[in-house]
Amino acid sequence: MAVPSLPIFERLYRRLAGRSRKALFGVTLLLVVLSLFASSRLSIQEDIVAMLPDDSSTVAGDFRLLQLAPFTKKLVITVKARQGDTAALVAVADSLAERLRGARVGNVSTGPADLSGSFFVWLGSSLGSLGTEEDLERVALASTPQQVRGSLKAGYEQLLSPEGWALKGKLQSDPLSFSTVALEKLRFLNLVPNMRLVQNHFVSADGKSALLTVDSTVPMTDSGASRDLIDRIDRAIAASVPAGFGATVVSGHRYTLANAETIKRDLYLVLSLSVLAVFAIYLLFLRSMSAVFVFLVPSSILVIASGAMALWAPQVFGVTLGFGGVLLGMVDEYAMMVYFSCRQGGKDPASIVGEVSRPVLFGALATLLSFGVMLQSSLPGQRQLAVYSMTGIVAALAISLLVLPHLIKPAPDGGIPLDPRTGNWRLPRRTVIGIWLALLALCAWQATKIRFNGDLQAVSMVTPDLRRAEDELVRTWGDMRGKALIFSEGKDLEGALALNERLFARLSGRIPAGDLVSLAPLLPSAGRQEENRRRWLSFWGAGRAARLGRDLAREGEGFGFSRDAFAPFLASLTAPPPAATVEGLRQAGMGELVDSLVITTPGAVRVLTLVPDNPQLVAALTDELKDLSGVRLVSQSRFGANVGRAILHDFTRYLAVTSALVLALLLLLFRNLRRVMLVLVPVVTGVICTLGAMGLFGMEFNIFNIAATILIIGLCVDYGIFMVCRITEGSDRIANRAVLVSGLTTLAGLGALALARHPSMHSIGITVLLGIGTGIPAALLVIPALCPKEPA
Amino acid sequence: MIRFLLILALLCCSAMPAAAADTAPSPALLDSLARTAAGVKTLSSDFVQEKHLSMFKSVMSSKGRFYFVKPYQLRWELTAPVASGFVLKGEKGRRWHERTGRTESFVISQDPVMKIVAEQLFAWARPDFAWLKKEYRITVLTESPVLLRLEPKGGPTAGFLKHLLIGFSADGRYVRSVELHEKDGDFTRIKFQNTAVNKQLSADLF
Repeated sequence: MAVPSLPIFERLYRRLAGRSRKALFGVTLLLVVLSLFASSRLSIQEDIVAMLPDDSSTVAGDFRLLQLAPFTKKLVITVKARQGDTAALVAVADSLAERLRGARVGNVSTGPADLSGSFFVWLGSSLGSLGTEEDLERVALASTPQQVRGSLKAGYEQLLSPEGWALKGKLQSDPLSFSTVALEKLRFLNLVPNMRLVQNHFVSADGKSALLTVDSTVPMTDSGASRDLIDRIDRAIAASVPAGFGATVVSGHRYTLANAETIKRDLYLVLSLSVLAVFAIYLLFLRSMSAVFVFLVPSSILVIASGAMALWAPQVFGVTLGFGGVLLGMVDEYAMMVYFSCRQGGKDPASIVGEVSRPVLFGALATLLSFGVMLQSSLPGQRQLAVYSMTGIVAALAISLLVLPHLIKPAPDGGIPLDPRTGNWRLPRRTVIGIWLALLALCAWQATKIRFNGDLQAVSMVTPDLRRAEDELVRTWGDMRGKALIFSEGKDLEGALALNERLFARLSGRIPAGDLVSLAPLLPSAGRQEENRRRWLSFWGAGRAARLGRDLAREGEGFGFSRDAFAPFLASLTAPPPAATVEGLRQAGMGELVDSLVITTPGAVRVLTLVPDNPQLVAALTDELKDLSGVRLVSQSRFGANVGRAILHDFTRYLAVTSALVLALLLLLFRNLRRVMLVLVPVVTGVICTLGAMGLFGMEFNIFNIAATILIIGLCVDYGIFMVCRITEGSDRIANRAVLVSGLTTLAGLGALALARHPSMHSIGITVLLGIGTGIPAALLVIPALCPKEPA
Repeated sequence: MIRFLLILALLCCSAMPAAAADTAPSPALLDSLARTAAGVKTLSSDFVQEKHLSMFKSVMSSKGRFYFVKPYQLRWELTAPVASGFVLKGEKGRRWHERTGRTESFVISQDPVMKIVAEQLFAWARPDFAWLKKEYRITVLTESPVLLRLEPKGGPTAGFLKHLLIGFSADGRYVRSVELHEKDGDFTRIKFQNTAVNKQLSADLF
């Protein structure tokens, strides 16, 4: 039976077999060395944005905006007292803050700047610029002769008590307590639900916890610097928090560390196990020194693909190198096919290369096609992964077909270890097909239950310690990081504030003050302030200030007040009030709050409003705020759903396009529908069984394991092509062995990830284990069962 | 010449109290006051308060009762012209007023004004010289009876207070008078009278 071959590879083998062989080895070695050098230029970008869609779904944009939420980039430290001694608690918080400042961990805050003096002066003096029409009604009510009498009596009595020592200035400048009207505006600025101020410190409602925040310049993605930062904080806590108190730290840095350290431990375990397993597989199935060259193929293509990547895009996502590296490292089936064919010998080596090149080339084309479709992905990390993998596959193809045949000598007896022909273990055909169909039916049914989870926490390592600290944080302070964010964006501050005002007007009626956080009442736009000022001056200008002066003089006389006791106050009513500005707020001690809610970027200013993140409210507001151009709502809960939807859409499109293209390619290559159907047996089995088992066991698709599905498709198509080529064209035992050994090494490498503790690595491992673990038996058992007497 | 000597003598005499006013208290003086005060467990006293404020046409006078039990119980009760007052007990307190007829509780650390008041009253009543030295620059105006001038070094008190004058009883066991001088020239004088030392005080007072 003549085996179809590709003569070009025969000719190439012959041409390179002579004197050119050394040149071939030299060029290959040079390519690997140059690639190694180029790879050193790669700069790794540790950013989850790599795995977020950057299409019109706005998911990546939402993700960036979510990072602007208050407290997201801060380290939050809770000091807890076992006893409710608030004074001692505040002292411990101060001592820890001092120690942290000494440790240079960043900008440490235990509370707002001193609000006792400058802030209230600022607030009182700005009332004319901040006061709305309703505020003026309240001011009018506080200025009636009866109220004047009551306020002066209360003030007089206050002056008699020791409290009067500190309150005299306030009585002089604000005898009718107009500042309480201005203070109302602070109701909309409660960033931490269960917090109150005690001696200018953030203290919990039960008085047992104090809050410290640290603004650090250490990037949250830098695990080395995060380790150092957390160590310094832990040392400061150990040195300054006495017995009877405790401190917990919550921050993105701790998540980075938990993830980095878990991945490190996982890699140690997984790499040790997989190296041992791959070594055992090679020892068992290859048993030849030339097997070393098979092992070198994946290592070389890893270097070549990384080098090519460095030339194409020096800024490479960490996930591309990590996942793609593991992926390519396991792709050795082309080398395996060539190895077994060459070891079998019995023919002219050039003819062997020509024959084996056909299934290898077909397999590589199908895999290239499936990764090529990934170039259309909306996830930038997946697009980069596609380029990286395709480069690696082309390199693997070239090395396997052009270089490797020159390095492998035929086995002396032409046999291959553990030849399946020597055993009599073929399963009954009907049984195999029956079990296969039953399994497919069961899995197809269960596959409908599979869910997509776009929540980034689902692929992040959260240790029990971190989970406890997060729960404790929410219990103590309320869900201060779980708010939906609404950005009012303008070209400048004035535009953003004006939009923020319109937003506040819509929200304040339906969301209570404790749940709504907005700067609008305290910092209206300049236009609105001018309007308020005019109203204020007109209010007091119509003889009202003079009348109030007379009332104060008359009522004050009864308590012994001098005639000009309140002259500065009366003068302030008719003088133009100063404007409320960001700078003024900063100087009054509200800098931290302003910086949390006003975000300035080149060319744009965003003012942030916070609302409860519940799906009903978010959905309703999304609809209602559509007509406010420049207003954008982002929410954690909706973000997760959007990512899930985007991934599902991406994956469905990927599956459909890949299926169609691979089918077309196979039809073109084989020109026989029955054979094409046979080729697809492993890939259909692998994909359906993966989806079915995941559905059955309640596992979810996430942004990582979905990429592993692509590998399953690529490898299983290769297995199908190898098997069908060799069965229909003879010598199926080589294909059997190549599929089995390369499948086993893939399982040993990627499947070992199933033992990892890190959710993303674990999910990749399980997915590959399920896909390849079912694809290999389908290729080895089902394809032969379905074509027992295929004509050549 | 005689005229010149007379002027010189007058200048020297007028300079003497000023020189005394600039004298930092000797550790021995403060130690002696602290030792003497250490024997004081309770104090009860009437007081008369005069407020000399520019906001008022005349001096505001009031009177009341003061009780103190070491270390952290204090009652300040105004009896005329209005009945009002407060009790401090450790970290907690309560205040009342005849006008409202209500009594309300408070936590000292959460009430910035009462925190200042409590710190001042406890510091004079004990007297806590360690705390006073930390918060004020202390000078001795007279040594017998002891009259101290305290100038705030910083903190919230410095915002409104220029200096304090604290006068001790002849035996140095308790404070007889306090004057609070504000930056704008206003001042408050409190004179303690009929002071009883270590008298059994009813627990109901606190």
